Amino acid sequence: MLVTVAQLVARRLLAAVLILFVVSALLFCVLRKLPVDPAAMSLPTTATIAEVEAKRHEMGLDRPLPEQYAIWLTDALHGDFGRSIQFGRDAGSLVAATLPATIELAGAAMVLAAILGLGGGLLLFHLRGTFVEAVADLASILLLSIPEFLWGLILLFVFGVVLQVLPFTGAVSPNLPQPHVTGFLLLDALWVGRLDVFASALRHLILPAFALGLAFSPAIMRVLRSSLFDVYHEDYIQQARLRGLSERQILLRHALKNAALPTLTLAGVQFGILFSGTLLVELIYSYPGMGNLMVDAVRNADLPLIQAIGLTYCVAVLLINTVVDSLYLVLNPKLRVR
Amino acid sequence: MGSTLKRRAFLQMAAAAGVTAPFVRTAAAAGDTATIGWPNDVPSWDPNQRFTPDAQPIFKAVYDQPLDQDAQLKLIPHLIKKWELAPDATSMAVELRDDVTFHNGDKMNAEDFRYTFLERIKSGVKLDTANSWKKVEDIVIESPTKATMKFNAPNPTAPQWMAFLGSYMVPKKYIESGGLENFQKKPVGTGPYKLAEYELNSRIVLERNDQYWGPKAKVARVTIQIIKDPSARVAAIQSGQADFTLNVPVREVQRFQSQSGFAAELNPITRVILLQVRADLNFADENVRLAAHHAIDKAALSKAFYGGAAVPLSVVATPGSPGYLPDFTFKFDPDLAKALLKKSGHGPDNPVKIGLAATNGQFPSDYDIARAIVQMWKKVGIDADLQVIEYAKYFELNRASKLPEATLYSWDNATGDPEIFSGYLLNPKLPFSAWKDEAVGGRILKLFNVADYNARVAGYREVERFAVEQGATIPLLQSVLTVVRKRNLQYTKYGNGWVLPQTLQWS
Repeated sequence: MLVTVAQLVARRLLAAVLILFVVSALLFCVLRKLPVDPAAMSLPTTATIAEVEAKRHEMGLDRPLPEQYAIWLTDALHGDFGRSIQFGRDAGSLVAATLPATIELAGAAMVLAAILGLGGGLLLFHLRGTFVEAVADLASILLLSIPEFLWGLILLFVFGVVLQVLPFTGAVSPNLPQPHVTGFLLLDALWVGRLDVFASALRHLILPAFALGLAFSPAIMRVLRSSLFDVYHEDYIQQARLRGLSERQILLRHALKNAALPTLTLAGVQFGILFSGTLLVELIYSYPGMGNLMVDAVRNADLPLIQAIGLTYCVAVLLINTVVDSLYLVLNPKLRVR
Repeated sequence: MGSTLKRRAFLQMAAAAGVTAPFVRTAAAAGDTATIGWPNDVPSWDPNQRFTPDAQPIFKAVYDQPLDQDAQLKLIPHLIKKWELAPDATSMAVELRDDVTFHNGDKMNAEDFRYTFLERIKSGVKLDTANSWKKVEDIVIESPTKATMKFNAPNPTAPQWMAFLGSYMVPKKYIESGGLENFQKKPVGTGPYKLAEYELNSRIVLERNDQYWGPKAKVARVTIQIIKDPSARVAAIQSGQADFTLNVPVREVQRFQSQSGFAAELNPITRVILLQVRADLNFADENVRLAAHHAIDKAALSKAFYGGAAVPLSVVATPGSPGYLPDFTFKFDPDLAKALLKKSGHGPDNPVKIGLAATNGQFPSDYDIARAIVQMWKKVGIDADLQVIEYAKYFELNRASKLPEATLYSWDNATGDPEIFSGYLLNPKLPFSAWKDEAVGGRILKLFNVADYNARVAGYREVERFAVEQGATIPLLQSVLTVVRKRNLQYTKYGNGWVLPQTLQWS
């Protein structure tokens, strides 16, 4: 099994190189075609036209597009993603500083989405044939129609403003320090033995993680329910009944394992989209992740930073899909026999 | 009662689950600390690097400027205790204080002054101050506290720029020995606060500098939470997670004004909302330009979008600033507008077509103001095609002279000096002026070399009136700063909108 998984990962790595190359080229060209002037943005507003032209030449913006891309690619392969126009710092270091927070948020949201999706799907299936089924179905459609940023605002209003029981700005309480070891706040808090910081960081994660989790779980619920419907028509389910297993045992021990596979595929796609969905949620909750940085970058036409963050999102989605496909192999023995 | 009981039950359950913590601030803690919800992060902790108006109040907490402004924007001594601009404005002698130390204990002296305004600029480090201080040819040090700046051209607003964007004293020894990157990670200034903690796009924690040479800050610890979304800032102050916030929607200010425990303000500041106009295309005709100005009901714009707090302007200067003309009013007169247009063969049945560019979300109500103006113009016979542009795009279009006939713009000038108002906005050699002609532009260029302060200000007052009467600019409103704070958290109100942490005080 491990060999098969390793082969899959290796194939995916090779494909990832090609995908990243294509995405970086597309991103580069699209950004250069935008009606903004990075040379002008990197100078003070008092700069004259002559100074802007000189800057444009210095930045190589007057060179042909393929040449500009080749220079960027050469630098990127050496770990240099350019200098942020707004922050005046290496774009790579800015991404590295904010990525851990986004990973923590996305990770927590994925766990919540998985739990809510799994639980909700089982519940929807359990209610089949009852008078409550239609109501539950409608509720799942309603949940599906609410995007993550709207959940963000609703939860902020209810739990942050009206009930005032949860924080909704930043990653930790203002009166607590933020330790720096790995960049992952929850881990760092435990590392330095600050349980108060850990608890505060967890509290600050609740609302944004739920906003994302609630938005992405309904699709998982509905696909799981559909898969269970399909699986329950199989012969082995009837055989399990004839063997005297309870419905609960049939559902959890037999049906769920097989129904999980298509659900897992969808979950992989959902989680990829969820990662990019952190952008708006981070903005609403002032969560200091990569999404928040991207909003700044877009507002200031900070092309090097937009490029670096865009590529990071691409890598994250590729990684998530690879992990999901590996899990698929682990759960489905038939796929390993090739 | 029912909802109170339900809420109580919910809180008890949540507390039992260990996931809640009340956010009640004790009376003792409230006096020592304050939390501000701030709209933007600093671009860098090198204060000379980028000109970002929003970051200036934060920089002024950690760093000091050679000169300062009082709340009425009058230029006052600060790190420089005496200064003298030469009659021809080609040099400025300064005398520094001798009792100032940086946060790391290094004593501030003229070497730091020379380093900040000459050496580090000449070293090639990418700094925006390289542009504002490009006329500095040399800084001659006469003693640890005395120096003379030599300019390669007249620099009459050198004193004003000493209190303006980016002009903060930085420590020469600390930067040269530790490097620029170290300085940006662990900034050292001379200001009333030290930077205790910084998390990118999250928070800035300031702790009082008890060795500060000037008045000590009242609040020992100020946390600046970076909350970019205006609704989230409103929610933060409403829920008590912030004690002070600004730049919230005007309607929220009006709502908070009726809530006990809060003080909500609309403060007029030295920021002008105006229409920048071109001298060509369909605005080549003076009648059309003046008609466009007469057709705008500025009082109605103020009432609709700023609760009546934004002052209508007839010149590009704010009340109380040196260039302001209190006796000059450009009247709202739609009948006169129609008459002017008729002279040029236009009217509601044969409208003149022009373009109007505006941002959307760059400053409060920008797009709404533009739409309102389009409607006002339609009534008199001007058909405006409204185009939304990004703020970043504005500079590119202006430099390339590709803006349409009129552009709605907001111009901030923390100094209040007329050179940085109409001087910059109408100087044909600078990238801000959409208007390019000799009649107005020529006068402005001459004023850039007038060293005598009174003569310079008188000249600007004259050219401002002339520019408006020519239709070279259409000033609209003095902008306002929206502030919501806990009622017992006081601060000093600056005419330019600065909210300085060192002026916060719990009462």
